[in-house]
Amino acid sequence: MGETAKKLSGAEIVVEELKNERVEVAFGIPGGALLDLYEVLYQEEEIKHILMRHEQCAAHAADGYARASGRTGVCIATSGPGATNLVTGLATANIDSSPVVALTGQVPTSAIGTNAFQESSTFTITMPITKHNFLVTRTEDLPQVIHNAFYIANTGRKGVVLIDLPKDVQGNRVEVELHPRTTSPGYRPNIKPNQVQTKRAAEVLLNAERPLILAGGGVISAGATQPLRELAELLGAGVVTTLMGKGAIPEGHPLSLGMAGMHGHVYANRALNECDALLALGTRFSDRLTGWQLDQFAPDATVIHVDVDAAEINKNLPVDIPIVGDVKLALHDILKWLDKAIKVDKEGKRESPWLRRIKEMHSACEECIKDVWRAGSSISDVVIKELSNILDGNAIVTTEVGQCQMFAAHYYITKEPRTFISSGGLGTMGFGFPAAIGAKVAAPDRQVVDIAGDGSFLMTCQDLATCVENDIPVVVCIFDNRYLGMVRQWQELFFDKRYSHTNLGVTPDFVKLGEAFGCYAERVEKPEELKSALKNAFESGKPAVLDIIVGREDKVLPMIPPGGGITGMIGTERCKRI
Amino acid sequence: MQTHIISLLVEDNPGVLTRLSGMFTMRGINISSLTVSPCEKSGLSRMTVTIKGSEAELEKVRKQLSNLIEVIKVVDLKDNEAVIRDLCLVKVHTRDAEARTEVMQLSESYGARIVDASLESVILELADEPERIERFVELMKHFGIKQLFRTGITAIKRD
Repeated sequence: MGETAKKLSGAEIVVEELKNERVEVAFGIPGGALLDLYEVLYQEEEIKHILMRHEQCAAHAADGYARASGRTGVCIATSGPGATNLVTGLATANIDSSPVVALTGQVPTSAIGTNAFQESSTFTITMPITKHNFLVTRTEDLPQVIHNAFYIANTGRKGVVLIDLPKDVQGNRVEVELHPRTTSPGYRPNIKPNQVQTKRAAEVLLNAERPLILAGGGVISAGATQPLRELAELLGAGVVTTLMGKGAIPEGHPLSLGMAGMHGHVYANRALNECDALLALGTRFSDRLTGWQLDQFAPDATVIHVDVDAAEINKNLPVDIPIVGDVKLALHDILKWLDKAIKVDKEGKRESPWLRRIKEMHSACEECIKDVWRAGSSISDVVIKELSNILDGNAIVTTEVGQCQMFAAHYYITKEPRTFISSGGLGTMGFGFPAAIGAKVAAPDRQVVDIAGDGSFLMTCQDLATCVENDIPVVVCIFDNRYLGMVRQWQELFFDKRYSHTNLGVTPDFVKLGEAFGCYAERVEKPEELKSALKNAFESGKPAVLDIIVGREDKVLPMIPPGGGITGMIGTERCKRI
Repeated sequence: MQTHIISLLVEDNPGVLTRLSGMFTMRGINISSLTVSPCEKSGLSRMTVTIKGSEAELEKVRKQLSNLIEVIKVVDLKDNEAVIRDLCLVKVHTRDAEARTEVMQLSESYGARIVDASLESVILELADEPERIERFVELMKHFGIKQLFRTGITAIKRD
C-alpha cells in the first residue's frame, strides 16, 4: 500500500486518485448527485474540466481524446438522465476498444431502488456496453476501485470502465490509504504471445508467395506501426487495413493498399481474395470488412490471427494459427524468428511477382481515383480528395457516420496512427464533432478537422458552444446534401429509389448557425473554394464551420452490396483500370 | 446440441450474477440451469452453469466468461471427470393406500427420502445425478406430480 492514511471525503479521494492516474483533463456536466465531486474540482488546478453541453458529447470527447493520444479519456455525468445520455458515447468507445473512464453521480445509497429523483440504474444499464463497471457503496473502496478502473480501461483489450458514485459515498469522510498498487484477481490480460505460434507464423509468412498483412485498430492501440512496416518491407507483403486500422501504415507507402471491406478499395479486397498467407493483426473480422460471403475472404490463405482478446479468435472467421497477445510483442517475435532462424532473401522478396502485382494494382487504383476526380460527376469524391491534398496527412481527422465517413475512409490519405478517428463498430452519427473536441484538447498543436454530414452534425452541434467558450478551434467540414445520404444511397440502390424519410428538407443555414455560436463560418459552393475556406478557418483561430455544398445524390462507390462478398463489389465501372 | 457444465469461481460482488447472465443473453446462449453458492474461500462464490450448444459455442462462451473481470476461473467439466449432482423436491399425489405404498417402494429403490406426508400427498427428496432424477420424476408422473422443484446442477471435478 502507498501513502500514510488521511481523512478525506469520497470526492477528495476521487480527485486525488485521478491525479495519481495522471488525469489532466475531464469532460463533463455537473448535477445534483455530483455536487460534492464538483465542489472539489472547483479548486482543483491539476485537472482541467471542460464543461460540455450534452453528456453524449462528454463521452465522445473523452473517446476522441483517448484515440488521439492513447491516454485514458475521462468523462463525468450526473445520475439519471446524465448517465443515460452518456450511454451512446460509452458504447461507441467500448466497441472500438478505446480507453475511457466514466464517472457518474448516483442517488445516495439509502435511496437506491426507490425511484428517487434522477435515479436510474446506471450500473445495470451500462453493464453490457462497458468492459467493466463499478457501483461504489463504501467510501473506503474508492482508491482501489479507481485504480482498478484505470488499469482495466487501458490494458489488454482496451475499453470503457464506468464508476457509479452515490452522493453519500462522495460526501462521507474516511481515513484511507491512497494509491493502492494491487488489482483485481480475475483480471490478467494475456499479452505475451506463445513462442511456438509466432515461430509457426514466421515460417508460414516466409514460405508464402503472396503474403498480405491486414492491420486493424489493435495495431494502433498497441503502438505497433513501426514493426508492422518493418515486417511488411522484409516480406514484401502488401498491407490492407480496416477502418479502425487506417494510419497503421502511411497510405502513400508503396506496400499500402488502403482500406479493405464494404467501402474499401477494389484492389485491397482483391488482394485479400488472392493472398496465400494472411497475417491479421488486432482486427475482429467484422462483417463490414469480410462481407457476407466468407468463402471469398482469403480462401487460399493460411490465416494467422493476432489479437489480445482470446475471445476474438475463431469468433467470426476460422483461423489456422491463432496468436493471443499484444500485437507489438507478436510482431517483434515474428521479426526475431525471421531474423534469427532464417535468412530472408530481401532482394528476392522485393522483386516477387506478388509485389509487382501489388504495385500494379496500387498505381491502377491511383489512376482510377484521378479519373473520378477529373470527371467531377460526384462532388463529394472531389471535395474529399481536395481536403486530403490540402491537409496532406498533417491534421487529425475525425468523421461522422455515413457517406461522409466512407468517402473519408476511401480517399483521405492517412499518414500517421491516431490521425484518423471514426466510429467503426457502433457507427454513431454525431460522434465526429465531439471526438474532434477531445482530439484537439489532446493535441492542441495539431489541426483538427471533423468530416461531417449535415445529418450527423445536427445531432451534436450544440457543443459548438463548448468550443467557443473553451477556445477549442476545431474545423467542421459539413458535406451538405440535405439527405441522410448513406441510407438514401441504399434506398436508391436496393429499394427502388423510394426515399423514405431520408430527405432532410429544410436544413439550417449552417453559416449563420456557426456564426450564432461565435464560430468562423463560410459556405463552400465549389470544391475549388475549399482551399481558401480552410485557410480562412485555420487563420481565424476560432472554431469553424464550413458548409460544403456537395451533390445531393452523390454515392459512395464502389461497395459490397448487402449479402455480397469481397470480390462482388458494385459500382466498379469507375475502377476499370484494375 | 450437447449439454455442457461450466464451473466458475467468481468474486462475490453485488451484480456479478447480472453480469454473468447478461453475457449469456448478449451472446444468444440460453442457460439451462444455474447454481450459485459460497465456496471454500471467503469473498468468492462458485457458480455451476449448464448450457446446451456445440463445442464451438462452448468455446466462445468459455472465452467470454474468462474476459469478465470478476470471473477468476472457468472450467468446463466433462461428465466422466466430475461428480455431478442435482437435488429435487417433488410433491406426489397419493390418492389411496395402494398409490402410497407404490410411491414409497419406488422412492426406497431410488434412495429418495420422504420428507413430509399428508393423506393426499408426499414430499420426496432425491439428490443424485441428473439422469437418475429424471427417471425418478418420470416414474412419479404416473401418480401425478403436484409440484416439482429442482436446484439445478452442481458439480465438482474429480482428482
